[in-house]
Amino acid sequence: MKLQKTIQIFILSILLPLALLTAQFTYSGQVNPSGMFRLSDQSEISLPFRLMEINAGYTLGNFDIITNTAVEYRWSTGDYDADIREAYVVWYPDWGEVKLGKQIHAWGAADGNNPTDNLNPYDYYYMFLPGTDRKVATTSASVKFYWNNWQLESVFIPEHEPNRLPFGEEDFPINIAMEPENYDPVDRDYEFGFRLQTSVWESDVSFSWFSGNDRAFSLLRMNMLVDENGIPVGDMYFGFRKTDVIGMDAVSFIGDLTFRGEVAYFMTETQFTEDLFQKLPVEAEYAQYVLQAEYADPWDIQWSGQLIGNKILDTKGWVFDSTSSTKTADLTEENFHSGMGTPFAILTDLGVMLSATATVFDGRLEIQANTFADMEESGFMISGQATYSPLEGVDIECDISQFLGEEGTHFNDMEDFSHIRLGLKYSF
Amino acid sequence: MKKILLLTIISSVVFAQTGLEIAQQADASKAPKDMTADLTMVLTNKSGQTRTSQIHSVTKNGGEKQIIWFLAPADDKGVSFLKIEHDDKDDEMRMWLPAFKKIRRISSKKKGDSFMGSDMSYEDMSNRELQDHTYQRLDDSTVGDSECYVIETTPKKEIKSGYSKHIAWIDKTDLVPLKEESYDKKGALRKSKTFAYTTIKDYVVPTELYVEDVQRNHHTRLVFEDIQLDTGIKDNLFHEKNLKRMPRK
Repeated sequence: MKLQKTIQIFILSILLPLALLTAQFTYSGQVNPSGMFRLSDQSEISLPFRLMEINAGYTLGNFDIITNTAVEYRWSTGDYDADIREAYVVWYPDWGEVKLGKQIHAWGAADGNNPTDNLNPYDYYYMFLPGTDRKVATTSASVKFYWNNWQLESVFIPEHEPNRLPFGEEDFPINIAMEPENYDPVDRDYEFGFRLQTSVWESDVSFSWFSGNDRAFSLLRMNMLVDENGIPVGDMYFGFRKTDVIGMDAVSFIGDLTFRGEVAYFMTETQFTEDLFQKLPVEAEYAQYVLQAEYADPWDIQWSGQLIGNKILDTKGWVFDSTSSTKTADLTEENFHSGMGTPFAILTDLGVMLSATATVFDGRLEIQANTFADMEESGFMISGQATYSPLEGVDIECDISQFLGEEGTHFNDMEDFSHIRLGLKYSF
Repeated sequence: MKKILLLTIISSVVFAQTGLEIAQQADASKAPKDMTADLTMVLTNKSGQTRTSQIHSVTKNGGEKQIIWFLAPADDKGVSFLKIEHDDKDDEMRMWLPAFKKIRRISSKKKGDSFMGSDMSYEDMSNRELQDHTYQRLDDSTVGDSECYVIETTPKKEIKSGYSKHIAWIDKTDLVPLKEESYDKKGALRKSKTFAYTTIKDYVVPTELYVEDVQRNHHTRLVFEDIQLDTGIKDNLFHEKNLKRMPRK
C-alpha cells in the first residue's frame, strides 16, 4: 500500500510534469455553420451537419495521441451532439507504426469511392462529403511494417460496427425502406485485414484481404403471417452477412496523366446464429471497381474522372418476396443487395464521375464543377461549388446540386434533394 | 616577371571558363550534408493581398531528399510533402493529406505545377542535373556590388522542362546564384528570382528567395530562419511515415 502511494506520488510529481514539459501539443479545427435549402421551394433541408471540429494531438517521444471531436448540429430542432470521432495512440518504432484506439483507416489508391476500403462503416448523413468525413471510426488495432519498398499492414477490429443510416429522415435523399427492430448477432464479431504495398518502378501496387461483416443490414429470417387483408405481418430478423474481400489497387503515371485504380472481389454468406423461423440463406460473389484519371491542363484546371462499377457475379439462396404466397423467392442478380463496398453501389451498377477544379482571383476563389452520371439508368447529378476566402482562415462556401432522373430511378427519388448549401468556415 | 606570367595564365584560364565549367564549379562548391530550417512563405497577388505559410523543412544531399511540413495557415496545417530525387528514374513525390488520412503519390512529371499555390513550381524546387542542360556563358555582369558570371542554361528536350531557358547571375566569389530569370516555352520572361545568402559553418546558405511571376503579376517571398546545418539527419527521416507526424519544435 505504501509502495503504491510512493509510485503514485513519483508519477504525479516527476514523470507527469516531465512528460508535459517534453511533450508537444498541436491542435487545429474549424467552425463551419451551414444550411441546405431546396432548389424547388427554398425550404430548409433538415439534416444534421458538423458545426465544429477539433483535432488535438499530443506527442511524446515515439508516441502520439490523436483525437478528433466534432459537434453535430441541426438547425430545425436545435439538437446538438458532441462526438469523439477518433481517439487513438500511435507508436512509431523504427520499423513501422502501431495504432490502437478508435480510429479511421484509409485503404485504396483512388480519391474516394474505394471498394477495397471496408475497415470502417460509412456515415450516410455525410455520404456526399469527401475523405474521412463520411466514415465512422471503429475501435481497432493496426500494425504497419516498412521494409525497403514494401509495407505490410494488418488491422484487427474486435467488434463489428454497421453503417450509420438516417432512419426516419424524410429529408434524406435515399429512401431506406424500414428500420429493423430485431437484429441477430453476428456469428463472429471480430474482423481483420491485411494490406501489402510495394513500389514497382514508378507505380505503387497494393494487395489486400479483409474478412468482416457487412456494413449494411440484410433480412436473415422471419416468422411471416398474413393478416385478413393479405398484408404480411410478423417478426423479421435482420443481421449482417459475413463477407471476405480480396482487393488490389494501384497508382501509376503515364505522361501528364495520373491513374489510380482499385478492384475488389467480395464473397458474402449469411451466417445464422438462430434456428427459429424461416431462414433466408444468401451466398453471393460480386466485384466492384473504380478507375480514376487525373490531368492538370495548361490553365491549371485540375480534371479528375472516375468510372465506378459494381457487378454481381454469382448468387445462391432466397430472399423475402412480399408478392409471393410462399414469401420467398430465389436470390438473383436483380434482388441481391451488396452490404459492403463503395456507397455509390447503392445508386447504380455503373457510374461516371467527373470533376474540374480551378482557382481564380489569385487563389482566393476556388470553383469546382462535379457531375455523376448513372450509366445504367437515366439519371445524373450535377453540382457546382464556390469557395471564396476573403481573409486568411475564413471561407465562404456555396454549393448547388441538382439531381435528375427518369421515373422509378434513384436519381428521380433524389430530385427533391436538389439544393443550395451556404456555409461559412473558420479554420484555426 | 614570373608573377606577371602566373597572373596572366590564371586570368586567361578563368576567362576561358565555359558556362558548363562554371556550372560544374558551382555544383561542386561546398554544401552542407543536411539542412533544417523554418520557412516563412508569403504569397502576394497583384492587389497586394498576402497569404502567409509557415513551413518546417529538412533537406539532405543538396535537396536530393526533402521533407516539409506546413504548420500554418490553419487550413493547410498538417499537410506535408516528401521528395526523393532518383538518378535512374523519375523523382518520387508524396503528400500527406490529413483530411483524407492518405499518403498520396503525386506525379513528378508535372514539373510545371505550382507548389502549394506559390510562384515556385516543382521544377523550381528540384535540382538541375548538369547533364540534362546545356550551358552558355554570356558577358559578365554585376548584381549590386557583386561581380557575376552570367550563364544561360537551356534544358535538353528529353527532360520536358516547363522552361525554354534560364539566365543566372552567379557570384564570382561564392559561386551561388544571386539572380535568375526563367523563360517560358515561347521565350517570354516568366519568372524573375533573386537570392540572399548568409555564411554558416563556412557554408553559403540561402536566407531569402524572392520569386516573381511576371506574367501573373504575383510574387512569393521565402524567408529561411533558424537554419541548422550538418546535424546528422538520418536517411530514414525521408520516409512517408514521417509525413504523418508534425515536427518536434
